[in-house]
Amino acid sequence: MMWPFDGDSGGVLALYLATLAVHAVFASYVVAGSAYALVRRDATAHAVRTRLPFMLGCAITAGVAPLLFVQLLHQRRFYTAHLLLGPRALAIVPALIVGFYALYLAKASDRWHRAALASALACFMFVAWSWSELHELMQADPEWSAFYAAGDRFYTDAQLAPRLVVLAGAMATIFAAVAAWFAAERRPLAIVALAGRAVSVAGALWLWHAGFTVDGPARGWLDLLAAAAVIDSIAWLVVAWRDQPSALMVATAAGAAALLAAVVVREAPRVALIEPAHGPSGGVIAFAIAVVLGAAAIAWVIRAIAPSRRR
Amino acid sequence: MVPHYPVNDFGPVMKGMVIGGVGIVHVFLAQFAIGGGLLLWYFERLAQRGVPDARRFVDGFFQVLVLVSFVLGALTGVAIWFTTIQVGARTIGLMIDEFHWLWATEWVCFSVEVVAGYAFVRFKAQLDDRSRLRLLALYAVAAWLSLFFINGILSWQLTPGTPPGEGRVWAGFFNASFWPSLLYRTCVAMALAALAACIVINTMDLDRDRRAALIRRASRFAAPIAAMPLLALWYLAVIPEDSRGWLLGGSMPMLMFVGIAAASSLLVGGYAIVALIVRRLYVNGATATLLLALAFGATAAGEFVREGARKPYTVRGALYSTSIAPNEVAALRASGATADDPYPLRDAARYPNGQLARGAKVYRALCDACHTMHGANAVVELSHTWTDDQLRLNIAKLQHTKSFMPPFAGNADDVEAIAQLIEWERAGAPHAWSEHAASPEIARWLDEAGIR
Repeated sequence: MMWPFDGDSGGVLALYLATLAVHAVFASYVVAGSAYALVRRDATAHAVRTRLPFMLGCAITAGVAPLLFVQLLHQRRFYTAHLLLGPRALAIVPALIVGFYALYLAKASDRWHRAALASALACFMFVAWSWSELHELMQADPEWSAFYAAGDRFYTDAQLAPRLVVLAGAMATIFAAVAAWFAAERRPLAIVALAGRAVSVAGALWLWHAGFTVDGPARGWLDLLAAAAVIDSIAWLVVAWRDQPSALMVATAAGAAALLAAVVVREAPRVALIEPAHGPSGGVIAFAIAVVLGAAAIAWVIRAIAPSRRR
Repeated sequence: MVPHYPVNDFGPVMKGMVIGGVGIVHVFLAQFAIGGGLLLWYFERLAQRGVPDARRFVDGFFQVLVLVSFVLGALTGVAIWFTTIQVGARTIGLMIDEFHWLWATEWVCFSVEVVAGYAFVRFKAQLDDRSRLRLLALYAVAAWLSLFFINGILSWQLTPGTPPGEGRVWAGFFNASFWPSLLYRTCVAMALAALAACIVINTMDLDRDRRAALIRRASRFAAPIAAMPLLALWYLAVIPEDSRGWLLGGSMPMLMFVGIAAASSLLVGGYAIVALIVRRLYVNGATATLLLALAFGATAAGEFVREGARKPYTVRGALYSTSIAPNEVAALRASGATADDPYPLRDAARYPNGQLARGAKVYRALCDACHTMHGANAVVELSHTWTDDQLRLNIAKLQHTKSFMPPFAGNADDVEAIAQLIEWERAGAPHAWSEHAASPEIARWLDEAGIR
């Protein structure tokens, strides 16, 4: 089995990373889509605005799975960081509720849609920031005790800001890749995707400068990420220049590869910290059956609504 | 070694109130969503059989369901996870360890529910009859299955059957209280949906006769509420004897909450069956809202009872409410409750001596999960009539002082330290306070109390 899936918890890690990637697609659409709909007035912006509540629903639903699996891989660290941030971590939920209703308001009201989108965007940025802090704090066990004693609620690690820059750029590119499939005019989205890549690369360099390194077997995933990002950028250039569907296909495939490699690279420093498996647990067959039946049910739903979508 | 997590202080608010508040709202909304799915399928069938206005109701009701349940319901579900981490990290960790694959299965059901729900909301007007009915059936089944799975995990906390960690997940899942709890919750879900439907119907732009016709249909959906008393008795019969005794008179507050849950359910059920189903009376929006509020009260009281019945455990036999396992108490009696606690006090400077600071750490480790110092369920208030010796005796023999308390998981010095802390707080937290050695009697009381 390939690293990092060769350990005892390889299966759970694979599920964690796969579901995290799916969550990232929807979350990126919501965050970058809110920003796009806020600043642009074209038909794509309007279409994006109407889809945002649905996409946030999907993002939250998809986010439950990695939230479950991270509690198996890093239970002690996750709970500790969550407790250390305390009310800050709890504030994620009301922020999402406000953001959710703001998206519905943005969809329903032409008069209030900009204010609603700005509010929603602020809520989602707070969530992204809090979650990145949690991610950093989970790995900072030597600092936990002093952090707690000081009563701090904000963890300002040197890698936090560059991590958010990488995330912002990646979200823009992922959003563009999804939105482009439904857009009549793709050039603006190609520019968003390319700008996102540039921001990600700048953020990655900053992150590296701040001490984030990738060594050993994780290096192969970083190489894959770099290669996929280069291919994806070239494909987006073609989309911007000539708007070829085949180029969009390549951009999407390369973007998907980049996303998968990125979640592995993001996880690389934590792989050595994965806790031993927590004893025997049954029900995996039930889960496997549920996944098959659930996928079939979702496929049926898509098929059932397909004629309506074409109309 | 007992794993230690950092502890947050919620001020005068008892932690149980935080998780209880979030939990009650979530349970109410989730059960409304589950019943709503079944109700919508029923009304869609009526619509396709020619019942006037039924389709208008389906489309309008689903909009409410999406706005309330898909947003608040889904996010309060995440909130429960977060608040449980804040209140009892070891408890949620144990449940995840034991049931993660079934929890993941529940997530698949939830995903299907969300996809089917959104697909219906977005494309309902364009779908043919067969697709509408099937989509609603899928939504209803997926929603109910999510209840099926989460019910097994939650009921396991009170009646686990087999010890956790042995891999006998299904034996734990289909525990003694699984079926009565599942059926009871299903009836509640249907009743909540019927009451919410009456409110929505009253907002529809129809004349009174047409609204009355829809209300009569919706009322029928509340009929399973008649089975709830029997299901409640079944539930009471299968829970542990001490929990049952505790609910039925052993504790006045618990008995009161049982009474509130039963009386509220009786009023809602009685109105639904006698007034709406038998006498076919009309229910206006205000009355329906009042009935739904009463149902919320019943849900709140019922959840309080369910949580309270587990005491002194969060997972019966496996984990005390202090997040200490029964088999860890002996070691903590020897080493002291906080010997391995790596987290210093946030307010260490407040305490005039080391013994009080130790008492504060013991309080944080053993009391803070259920008590506050001066707010809700305050230890200072609960013990203010106790003499000095009685205070130490009652703490040392905690599980005998009150049957719903866990054994004291510390040594004699810990007992003295926390007794000093309580006396110091009672005295108004003065700047000077002298230390006192633990008397040999405390060690004897601890030995007499035992570790179970």
